[in-house]
Amino acid sequence: MDENEQKLPKKNEVPDSWWYRVYFGVIVSTILVIFALWAFSQYFK
Amino acid sequence: MSWIDWAIVGGYLAFMIFDGIRMTKHTSGVDGYFLANRSLPWWAVGLSVMATQLSAITLVGATGQGYMDGMRFIQFYYGLPIAMVILCVTAVPFFYRANVFTAYEYLEKRFDVRVRTLTSFFFLISRGLGVGVVIAAPSVILSIVLGWNELTTIFVMGLSTTLYTMIGGVQAVTWTDVKQMFVIFFGLFVCLFVIVGKFPEGVSMGDGLHLAGAVGKLETVNWSFDLTEKYTIWSGVIAALFLFLSYFGCDQSQVQRFLTAKSVSEGRTSLLMSAFFKIPMQFMILLIGVLVFVFYQFQQPPMIFNANENAKYANSAEYKSLQADYEKAFEKRKLVATEYSTTNSDSAKQSYIEANQEFLAARKKGVDFVKKDNASFNDINYVFPNFVVQNMPIGVIGLIIAAIFAAAMSSISAELNALATATTLDFYRRLVNADATDKQYVFVGRIATLIWGIFACLVATQATNLGSLIEVVNKFGSFFYGSLLGVFVLAFAVKKANSNGAFFGLLFGIASVWVASNYTKIEFLWFNVVGCLVTVLAGYLISLIFPTKSIDISNKI
Repeated sequence: MDENEQKLPKKNEVPDSWWYRVYFGVIVSTILVIFALWAFSQYFK
Repeated sequence: MSWIDWAIVGGYLAFMIFDGIRMTKHTSGVDGYFLANRSLPWWAVGLSVMATQLSAITLVGATGQGYMDGMRFIQFYYGLPIAMVILCVTAVPFFYRANVFTAYEYLEKRFDVRVRTLTSFFFLISRGLGVGVVIAAPSVILSIVLGWNELTTIFVMGLSTTLYTMIGGVQAVTWTDVKQMFVIFFGLFVCLFVIVGKFPEGVSMGDGLHLAGAVGKLETVNWSFDLTEKYTIWSGVIAALFLFLSYFGCDQSQVQRFLTAKSVSEGRTSLLMSAFFKIPMQFMILLIGVLVFVFYQFQQPPMIFNANENAKYANSAEYKSLQADYEKAFEKRKLVATEYSTTNSDSAKQSYIEANQEFLAARKKGVDFVKKDNASFNDINYVFPNFVVQNMPIGVIGLIIAAIFAAAMSSISAELNALATATTLDFYRRLVNADATDKQYVFVGRIATLIWGIFACLVATQATNLGSLIEVVNKFGSFFYGSLLGVFVLAFAVKKANSNGAFFGLLFGIASVWVASNYTKIEFLWFNVVGCLVTVLAGYLISLIFPTKSIDISNKI
């Protein structure tokens, strides 16, 4: 990288390990939401 | 519309223009005008991401889809949270730390200027036409439903958005998006409560949902593996995943949103905000359509929701006879719907299902009659605006029309801003004048916004045959999206990929989608998978066969 392409300072950043837990939470909550929607449609079927 | 509704719509428009223009003070310099000096908080960026994706035609079309087809469309969004997680791991840190203004600028750093120019060019063409449709679609609908002049609606919507986007830059886009999202949410909540309040006495929301569920309107998961079926859990989780990866990770109108965030963490949080809220929001929009369906079990809906078409055939004897059959079918369905919602018995349910089928058959005869003169006729987008104007109280009509305007303007502004950014930085600065001052680049950015705004309005005015235009734009977009994603996969994940591989892989990908669209029956969403996979495979092989000296920056960022 040349001078214009220098990395920006990593301000306000949290470690990747924390993010992996967040991503796991997002995937789990998505599965729960899809399950809840499926249950909703079964209940009113 | 009463003067109160006009005042609400007028007040909304005036405030948005004022609010956008007052952002001028933050637009000194290229960084300020195009990236807000990377200073925006995650929640504002997150709302802007959602607002950009939610166009008026999504709002109006999805409620219509909820009415006609039920909740099945929600499956399209099941892949979105997964796409957001993948982008948080890859695109956000790669783009942000490469300190780029456009997604395509990154491709020059990774490959060469050819790849940057080609991808940026495809973006300009597809998005330039797309923004015209984003303006045209709600304008045509509002003109017919409200009796407004079509040209006036197009130019009021298009030029007012162009004005504040041109002057206020990305700051104006983001902060007006935030307010527009609040207008949309508020309008939708009010609409939902008013519809439920209009159910007949003794019919609760639960009763209504049982009615909708009995005729399959609440199906949210379809496990079918049939590739020719449009909405299944697999097309949502796999095929739409590719579309979302491409749209949020490679389309400048979305990439520019998270590049304005304060940091990588804030950029990631903004995308995850969308991951959390998109499915519930879409559920609410579709639910409104389903509740409109329930409302029309007890109040007769028009046989044809497009008032112009209805008026055209009003004096035809055949149409009148179809209308009479339709009214009879409605009365019968109303009777059994009332019985089922009060008794909840199995026999009443069966009668209701049969009566609904008769009613749908009667409507289909009316639609087929109109289709004799107009083969592409489809009134799905007219259901919600027609319902609002005919059944909502004074004040709420104005609020919902303002929400439709907000949905349109939030998408238009972000897209114009992205078009201007790509034009100024990928073409003017890179190929024409690399030594201009910041002031000159901002000036060119403003002129580019104005030109793209006028171009979009002109495209919108030409959209007389809207159905086919949307098809052309979608087809062109699908040719481009999957293949573009393939180029970014080569850039991020394939170390051996070089500029020849990326450039010709992209062309191979586009050609493969053309073949798939013309010689197979697979649904549109799967084109993105085909384009991406062929681009990656062809790009990889070409890179091996024709090696070039290519800069691999992926592991340095």
